[in-house]
Amino acid sequence: MSASTTTVDEPGLAPPTPGRPPAASPPVRRRGPRWRTLQALKGASFSLPFLAGFTLFVLVPIVMALRESVYSTKTSGLGFGGSTVTFVGADNLLRAGADTVFWAGMGRVGLYAVVVVPLTQVVSLGMALVLDAASRRVGARFRIALLLPYMVPGIVATMIWIYLYSPVVGPLHEFFELFGLDVNFYSSSLAWVSIGNLAVWGSIGFNMLILYGALQAVPHEIFEAARLDGASEARIAWSIKVPFVRGPLVLTSLLSIIGTLQIFNEPLLFRAVTPESITKDFTPAMMIFNQAFQVGNVNYATALSIVLALVVGAGSAVIYRFLNRSEP
Amino acid sequence: MNITRNRWLSLVAAATATAALAGCSDGGAGAGGATAEAEPEGPVTIEVWGWNAETGQQYAEAFNAAQDDVVVEYVLQASNTATATNFRNAVEAGSAVPCLVQGFAPLTTMVVNGWAQDITDAVEPSADLYSKGALAAAQVNERYYGLPSGADGQFLIVNTATYDKFGVDVPTTWDEFLEAGRTFKAGGVDVTNLAGEDPSTLMNLAQQAGAEWFAIDGDQWKVNFTDDATLEAAEVVQTLIDEDLVSNQTYQDKPALYSYFDSGNMASTTTQWWSITGLQTNLVQSAGDWKAAPIPQFADADETVTPGRTTPSFVPEGCENPDAVMTFVDWGTTAEGIEAGRNPETGAVGFPTQIPDPSEYVADVVPEGFFTDDAAAADVIVEAQAATVGKFELGPNYDAWFPELQDQWGKAVAGEITVEEALAAVQKFVESDLESKGIAHTS
Repeated sequence: MSASTTTVDEPGLAPPTPGRPPAASPPVRRRGPRWRTLQALKGASFSLPFLAGFTLFVLVPIVMALRESVYSTKTSGLGFGGSTVTFVGADNLLRAGADTVFWAGMGRVGLYAVVVVPLTQVVSLGMALVLDAASRRVGARFRIALLLPYMVPGIVATMIWIYLYSPVVGPLHEFFELFGLDVNFYSSSLAWVSIGNLAVWGSIGFNMLILYGALQAVPHEIFEAARLDGASEARIAWSIKVPFVRGPLVLTSLLSIIGTLQIFNEPLLFRAVTPESITKDFTPAMMIFNQAFQVGNVNYATALSIVLALVVGAGSAVIYRFLNRSEP
Repeated sequence: MNITRNRWLSLVAAATATAALAGCSDGGAGAGGATAEAEPEGPVTIEVWGWNAETGQQYAEAFNAAQDDVVVEYVLQASNTATATNFRNAVEAGSAVPCLVQGFAPLTTMVVNGWAQDITDAVEPSADLYSKGALAAAQVNERYYGLPSGADGQFLIVNTATYDKFGVDVPTTWDEFLEAGRTFKAGGVDVTNLAGEDPSTLMNLAQQAGAEWFAIDGDQWKVNFTDDATLEAAEVVQTLIDEDLVSNQTYQDKPALYSYFDSGNMASTTTQWWSITGLQTNLVQSAGDWKAAPIPQFADADETVTPGRTTPSFVPEGCENPDAVMTFVDWGTTAEGIEAGRNPETGAVGFPTQIPDPSEYVADVVPEGFFTDDAAAADVIVEAQAATVGKFELGPNYDAWFPELQDQWGKAVAGEITVEEALAAVQKFVESDLESKGIAHTS
C-alpha cells in the first residue's frame, strides 16, 4: 500500500501537471534523494536481524576466540592459588600447527570424508532422481520418509544406531547371521563403517531434498525434446538433469565436507563401544572439546578451533573451485 | 568495562544483602526493630544446589520446619552436568553463588579452581558425627574443603547358580578370584566384566592396594601412577585380560549388559549399595540367585580394606555462612534428618554412608527378591561401609587425566598394550599437563 503511494511521488514517474508553476518542482527534487536513501535504508533494514545475529553469534565469538588464543593461563605451586594470564602471542597457534595428535585426527577425518561425502552425494542424487521420475504423489510420500532421519537429533540418532548395531540385542547382528556372517559393528575394525553408515543415513534426506527441489525447477520442455530425439530416461538423467543440478550439488557437497570435518557426536558416543580405537582426541572437534572442557585449556582449544576453521575454509574453497571449474 | 560491571554487580549485591538483612531484622527482631545497627537477628537463609529430584526439596522443607536458625532454599538442578555448568556461570558472573553445592567433581578439582572454601573451623566441632572415611574424603592437604561425605563401599555379588554349577567357593582374595576365573573359563563363563570405557575397576583395585597416585609433598605434587601398590593391582587386571577370564561389555549398551549379567555367563561383579535396586529391576531371570560377599582382598593385606570414592559437597568461596551450612548438613546425621530423606516412591531412606554406624538403615537398601539371603547381604553392605578407605587423592588435574586413563585403559583391555604401559603413559601425560599448567610436581 505504501509502495503504491510513494511510487506516485517518484519525480520521473509523476504525471506532468499543465500550468503548474515551476516553483513546485524543487521540493520534489529535494525529496528525491532523501526518498531514495530512505528506501535504501528500508531495504537494508530487512537484513538487520540477520546482521545482528551474525555479529553476535559469529563475528563476536571469532574475535573472542582470536583474543583467547594469544593468551596462556597458568597457576603455580600446588595449583591452589589463583591463576595468571599471560600474553603468549602466536605460541598456541604454532603449537597447534605442530601438534601431531591434532593433525592425526585431521588426517583420519579427512580420509573418512573422502569416502563418506561422495557416497552421501551419490546416494542423495540417486534418490532425488528416482523421486523426480516418480509421480508427484508417490514422490511426496517418500520425500517425507527420507527426510525423517535428518529430523532426528544427532545424539538421539547415535543412541538408536548403537542399539541397532548391538551384537547382543540389536537386529542387524541377527540379520547378518542369517547369511552366515558374524558382523560386529562394535568392533574397532568396523568403527568407521558404523559411524559412516549412521552419518550417511542422517544426511541423505537433507541433501536429497535440495537436489529434488532443483530437479523440479528444470524446464520439462527439455525432457520432451530429449525424448523426441530418442533419449532414454537414464540418458536424460545423466546428460540433462545432473548437469542442471550441479550448482545445488556443489552446495550440498560443501555442507557435507564442513559437517564431516567437524564430526563430534557420533565418535563421542561410539567411544564407549570401541574405546581402544576411538580415543579422546580421535577427531579434531573431539580434541578441541577435550582441551576446553576437560583439560581446561581454553586458550589452546580456541587456537585449535581457529586452525580447524582455516582448514575447513581452505578445503571448501579448493573443492568449490574444483567443482565449479568443470561447469559448462 | 569489567570494573564497571563488577561495581554494578557489587551495588546490586550490597542492595540485595541490605534488603535481606532488613527483612531478617523485621522478621526476627519484631518490636525491637529500633536497634538498627545491632547484629541482625533471625534465621540465616542459605541456598543449596543439588540434583536430588526425589527427596532434595522435601528434605530441605523438613529441615526448615525442624529448627528456626537456618532457612534452606533448595534449588533443584537438572543433573550433575547442569549443576557444574550453572555453578561455573554463577562464579563467572560473580553473583548468586549458592552456599552449598552437591559435589560434581573430585574435591581437589574444586579447590584448584578456587571454588571450595576452607571450612575446617566449621567442620571440626561436629567431627564426631561422621565416620573416619567420610571425614578423610572431605579433606585436601589436611584441611576441610568439603562436607563429610560417605564413600560407597564396594562389595562383590556372585551368581550362586553359576558358582554352584562349577563347584567354586566365593573368593576371599584376588588370587582366589583369578583361580575361580580359570575354572569358569573352562566352561565358557566369565568371572566378571571389564567395560573398556570404564577404568574404575583399576582405580578401585589400586585404592584398595594402598596406591597413592597423588600426594602433596611440601609445595609440590608427588605423582606416581606406577607405585608398588598400583602395580600389584595392575597385575590382577593383567591376568584377567591375558588369560581371557573376563568379558568387555559396554555400559553404553545397557539392554545387552543386563541381558549378559542375567544370563549366568558372568559369575560375579563388584558393586555398591545404590546399584542393587537397578540390578534387581533388570536381572529378572537371575533374581534370587545373587549373594553378596565382601570384596576380595590382596593376600598380603594387613586389614580388610574396601575401595570406594566420593565427590563431597562443598561450600563455595563467597558464602559467608559455613556454620549455617554445617547446621544443615549435621541435621542429616540425626534420626529425624535421615527419615526426612525417605523416598516416597520406593519407601526407602537414603543409606547414610557418612555416619559411623549406618547398620540401622541398611534393610531399606536391600530390595526383596534379589539376594539369596537379605540379612546376610545387609551385613556385607554394612561391613563394606565400615572398611571404606574414603580418600583417594586424584590430584589437581583429574578432569584432564581421566580421559587419558580411559584411552589407555581401553587399549589395555583390548590387549593392545599392558596395564603397566597404560599407567606409565598416564604418568607421562599427567607430568606434561601439570608442567603446562605451571603446577609444581615431582615423580
